[in-house]
Amino acid sequence: MKKNLKINLAIIFGGQSVEHEVSVITALQAAAHISRDKYEIFYIYITKDSEFYTGEAAGVIENYRDIPALLKQLEPCAIIRHGGKVKLVRTDGKLFRRSVIALLDIALPAVHGAGAEDGSLAGYLQMSGLPYAGSDVLAGAVGMDKFVQKQILQNAGVPVLPAQRLRSAAYARGKSAALTELEQKIGFPIIIKPVNLGSSVGIKIARDGKQLQSALEHAYLFSDEIIAEHAVTNLREINCAVLGDADSAAPSECEEPLANGEILSYADKYAGGGGSKKAAAFAADGGGKGMASLQRKIPADISKEQRDFLRSTAVKAFHALGCSGVARLDFLVDGDDNDKIYFNEINTIPGSLAFYLFEPVGIPYADLLAEMLDLAFKRARGKASLNTSFNDINILQTANLGGKNRK
Amino acid sequence: MIEIIIGIILSAYLLAGMGAAFLRSMQMFQLAGYHGLPHARWLAANSAEMLKCLLFFPHYNKLRKQSKKKLVFTPRVLRMCAVAIIYNAVLVLIILFLLPVSAKTVGFVVLLMLAQYAPILACFLNKPVEKAIGKRYIGDAKRVIDSLPLLTTVGITGSYGKTSVKYFLTQMLQTTFNTVMTPESYNTTMGVVKVVRGQLTAATQIFVCEMGAKKPGEIKEICDIVKPAHAVITAVGPQHLETFGSLENIIKTKFELADSIYPDGAAALNFGNEYIREKAGSLKKKVLSYALNSEDCYCTAKDIVQEADGTSFTVRFGGGEEFQAKTRLLGVHNVENIIGAAAMAYYLGVSAADISLAVGRLTGVPHRLELRSAGESVIIDDAFNSNPAGAKAALDVLDGFSKHGDDVFKIVITPGMVELGDRETELHTVFGRQMSAVADAILLVGAVRTAPIKAGALQSGFDKKNLHTFDSFNQAFAFAQMLDSSGKKKVILLENDLPDNY
Repeated sequence: MKKNLKINLAIIFGGQSVEHEVSVITALQAAAHISRDKYEIFYIYITKDSEFYTGEAAGVIENYRDIPALLKQLEPCAIIRHGGKVKLVRTDGKLFRRSVIALLDIALPAVHGAGAEDGSLAGYLQMSGLPYAGSDVLAGAVGMDKFVQKQILQNAGVPVLPAQRLRSAAYARGKSAALTELEQKIGFPIIIKPVNLGSSVGIKIARDGKQLQSALEHAYLFSDEIIAEHAVTNLREINCAVLGDADSAAPSECEEPLANGEILSYADKYAGGGGSKKAAAFAADGGGKGMASLQRKIPADISKEQRDFLRSTAVKAFHALGCSGVARLDFLVDGDDNDKIYFNEINTIPGSLAFYLFEPVGIPYADLLAEMLDLAFKRARGKASLNTSFNDINILQTANLGGKNRK
Repeated sequence: MIEIIIGIILSAYLLAGMGAAFLRSMQMFQLAGYHGLPHARWLAANSAEMLKCLLFFPHYNKLRKQSKKKLVFTPRVLRMCAVAIIYNAVLVLIILFLLPVSAKTVGFVVLLMLAQYAPILACFLNKPVEKAIGKRYIGDAKRVIDSLPLLTTVGITGSYGKTSVKYFLTQMLQTTFNTVMTPESYNTTMGVVKVVRGQLTAATQIFVCEMGAKKPGEIKEICDIVKPAHAVITAVGPQHLETFGSLENIIKTKFELADSIYPDGAAALNFGNEYIREKAGSLKKKVLSYALNSEDCYCTAKDIVQEADGTSFTVRFGGGEEFQAKTRLLGVHNVENIIGAAAMAYYLGVSAADISLAVGRLTGVPHRLELRSAGESVIIDDAFNSNPAGAKAALDVLDGFSKHGDDVFKIVITPGMVELGDRETELHTVFGRQMSAVADAILLVGAVRTAPIKAGALQSGFDKKNLHTFDSFNQAFAFAQMLDSSGKKKVILLENDLPDNY
């Protein structure tokens, strides 16, 4: 009986991010749904210190309760390109042991948050020449910058709330002037968010000058730059994910996350509101529920017109931001202004890869992953065909580099 | 005491000479594809050079620097070196201890003279080892092919055009499938085996495999390893006639590929080639015919217009679908190669839109009608392994330059073609005639081989004073740059650049 060779897939997760733990859940959940007949999985766990580790033990969720013990079972590693191949190598050199663990064919980044989801990991993979699922460097970076993405989307005709941005240094130089300016340009209530963080971290609503000051200072704990928008207080949040690439993309079902407070807090979003312990209490299938376990309404309770508008706008925004693979786009519905819909933010690597939004539209998680990986190969091929030049002439080889003609 | 020191120095000097002669010989042996007979012929013709290497070893370094392609120390070459060192050491011991004193000097002289033949001898001694290693690699490659779940292999062969079609097909397939092709020179059994073992992965969907042959059975041998599902046969012509023996053998060998594909596989065949068209009737496989300006083919190109910056044409498939295409490549033969690739790509499911996009992005194969500018002049670099059809196409491209209204001065530099067997004289005469109709100046490299070209050109009334013969390509090229073109822009066609061993 012949044994099929498998595609070597690196699932990369963790990283220096406030959403480190969620990323672990997203990754292991995905691993549980990837076809093992077709793919050989290599887990690459990035610690909070940005160190890469690999090993089978990184694929077992229970092991993450004791990370120092887990790391002892794993090997430090790196992804490098050499000899036209992408190699997963051990970085702790030992005598009589091969340094190469595997030749990688493709990667599935499952990292969340600034420092990872912002195109940094994509850049690392891009430089290594390893095809990877999901958005590329630029889309990842823009997807993380709430101010820049608004400029692009406004241009593309996607409704966004006007915003101001303010750097911490500028604020520190003239606090009262800065506060006054925000108050005049936006008007209370004002919502303050770190420009580059997802997951509701560092977000506060201010109703007066004093609250504004404390909201700013709170946000500056997490980021050097904030954006300020007029806060929509009577709001509903509706999310819609998109699967595809620049050539074609399709929207998922819409969901309505049910928040306890005015904005979905970090505890709500990932710990199910029951405290931080819950994030570590996973189902035995190695998957855990992650984002899918949040209290949410799927499909969202909205009119057909609203649903159509949201889904088409989500695809429009996905294309405008140059995304690929899966992205989840979060919208606000302003209850005080005729249910007007605004784009709020995008997650270019959404928690649980938003699989629970695609199942209702007939795409099982396994198919979603297969499609993401196919798109990754497609993008890599496209890049290769653009770069393919058979004129591999080294100009420096023939150029006269010195003053003298060398014979 | 002093005798011993002199003896050691002299021995070391002669040993270096042996090494030099051996390496130079090995370099040429490698270029000859490790075939003993042509290499022995080369050694006989270059005995003075070899003697110089032997007696004055630094000469090797000078020759090495002048070489276009230096010796590559592949594992095989290293194995031959090892064997040569061992048997030479044994011979030295025999001479030292077993031969009578009177015969020792003669023995050493013979040993020195034999150094240049050492690569051939080492190769012969190594045959069983190489065979065993090759067998293991072949078995390994077969296992790889069998274990790749997504793989479909497309084999490409032909007397010419196969490398271009391979590049073009790969670029078209890349739009839709994970495609790997055999790189430039890997078209022999062991070359293909190396690619299979080193480049194919479980993610590979299509393997585009170029198959070269110099004698019957060689294509079949590659097919037995890579098990092609589909085939493209680009042309049948008199290339390697010398080693094939007859044109029938060439046709038979190329069709070994079509015979080896899956029963439900398809063969894209160039119907513009009469030998292929005739043979196609007896093939019991699905045929995807392609030819220029032939509406009844599976894929054709019409309305072909040569422009200064490329070629535009309409591609039409048998089903009626057609699209406009524009390529930066020059020459009608390139359009023929493009539709050959398009026929297979379309059959495998690449959309017409994606094919059209790929055609626009095609870059030429290096040194195959590659357009380059060198200061004031334009160079058409067609230096790679020329053949009669390719040479004619190159002349057409050169001719095209004056048809675009530019007042140009057209120069051809060529050393002629090789491996044409007993038709060489005839084909070279034709080449000379064709050239005389196009060129303003003809610069030939190497008086002996190019004599029929010169005769052909002069027969057709080409002015003797515009035809020059040189010893080397560099001399000819330098002359071309100096040549007075009375103010016209020079277009220089470099037609074929022979490797060092010719």
